[in-house]
Amino acid sequence: MSAPAAGVPDRLRIAVLASNAGTHDRLATLVAQCGHQLVEAAASPDAVLTDGAADAVLPAAAVAVGAGGGEFAGWLPPDAGVVQVDAALRAVAAGLTVRATPPQTRNFDALPEEPPVLLTPREIEVLGALGNGLTNKEVARLLGISPHTVKFHIESLFRKLGVASRAEAVAKGMRQQIVEF
Amino acid sequence: MADFAENHLLNLSQALADRARLTRPLVAAIAVPGHRMRSGTLWRKDVVVASEQRFPDAGEANVTLADGSTFTAHVAGRDSGTNVVALQLDGTPDPAPLSASEPQPGGLALALGADDGGISVRLGVIHSVGPSWHSRAGGRIDRRITLDIGVTPREEGGPVLDPGGGLLGISTLGPRGRVLVIPAATVEAVLDPLLSKGRVERGWLGIALQPVLVPEALQAGAGQLQGLMVMSVSKDGPAARANLYAGDILMKIAGETVMSPSAVAQYLGPDSVGKQVELHLIRAEKPLSIAVTVGIRPSR
Repeated sequence: MSAPAAGVPDRLRIAVLASNAGTHDRLATLVAQCGHQLVEAAASPDAVLTDGAADAVLPAAAVAVGAGGGEFAGWLPPDAGVVQVDAALRAVAAGLTVRATPPQTRNFDALPEEPPVLLTPREIEVLGALGNGLTNKEVARLLGISPHTVKFHIESLFRKLGVASRAEAVAKGMRQQIVEF
Repeated sequence: MADFAENHLLNLSQALADRARLTRPLVAAIAVPGHRMRSGTLWRKDVVVASEQRFPDAGEANVTLADGSTFTAHVAGRDSGTNVVALQLDGTPDPAPLSASEPQPGGLALALGADDGGISVRLGVIHSVGPSWHSRAGGRIDRRITLDIGVTPREEGGPVLDPGGGLLGISTLGPRGRVLVIPAATVEAVLDPLLSKGRVERGWLGIALQPVLVPEALQAGAGQLQGLMVMSVSKDGPAARANLYAGDILMKIAGETVMSPSAVAQYLGPDSVGKQVELHLIRAEKPLSIAVTVGIRPSR
């Protein structure tokens, strides 16, 4: 059900184009956290991750993070996380256009009702760690539990959320509502 | 037969046009320099209310009524909780006041908005009427009224009327393009604090909560399957001062089970500020009771 569109491989080849070395490193880290392969711009990448300031010719559809102008297939806010970057890169590689929802366009709304899926505190912790791009081993170390137990929690998350991949679990699970009081 | 139908349609059409004409003096066009025009409702002699969401961060606005008269208005107060912003006019237009009316599902409703130098009118039915509800920003809305009418961002904040000319409230863009009505009673309830203090004070704990399944081992002892996990604690907030921590699971407030965000909101209305509430928690697998003095919710 959740297989990527035909022609878009699970692991993408991504080029980073940035206006300075610091930003390049930050974007390259995001690419790695998404589990994609960093390639040179000349090596026909599947998609490009950029800060929008590089005036190089784009070798593929690009996701611009925090860009102020220019024409890009994808636009993300400066604080976009791994989940958004990964989803945007996949989308533009598949020929789609991506725009982040600006926070102020969220209309007046009611407090969320109870979520359809209730997670345990541990599952929420594991989900948060997955969202930060941690491997099972790293999650185990972070939470002080065995990798086997991590795997158990992830399987439970997949079952409860009805998903088949970690990225999907994070995307769906993070929609669980946190409300401030 | 043809005459009969024709008369009915003509009568309906004329009645709607009359209703729009009578309400026209209440429709305000609000201009803030550098921003698009938006609509408001002349609520009292010298007070215009409008939709708070996306209202520009400005201290003053220019208000033009449908008769062409213009006023300088001071943005007296805003409340994201009920989506009401109040503007105090520097003059008194003196409109014929409308009486508030009770919504009925399926009844006709007219939604008015400001248009360049005039008004725009939309007709539809009241799609649903539900009980009181809490907004995401913590306000309590007396009725959940949805309309089967589309409203543009320019028209939002204008008056919504029933066929008898009663004022149902002001239009508000809700989730997924749905149009809600902020009931007249809700607007009335926040108007005095907005005009005197500029805001509506509501209770605040300084915690972010998420519904969770109580871990299996603790369910029997807790007597409930669900709770609300503290995801973060605001630094120096009421909960922080009472030593609540992220990871605590909130089970009860004042002895009553709280399993959903709206259950918590009920304890944090305007009357709760400064009072103590007893929070029943699970921390490190053990039950715990902590009294928190409710603070004032910071404005967004």
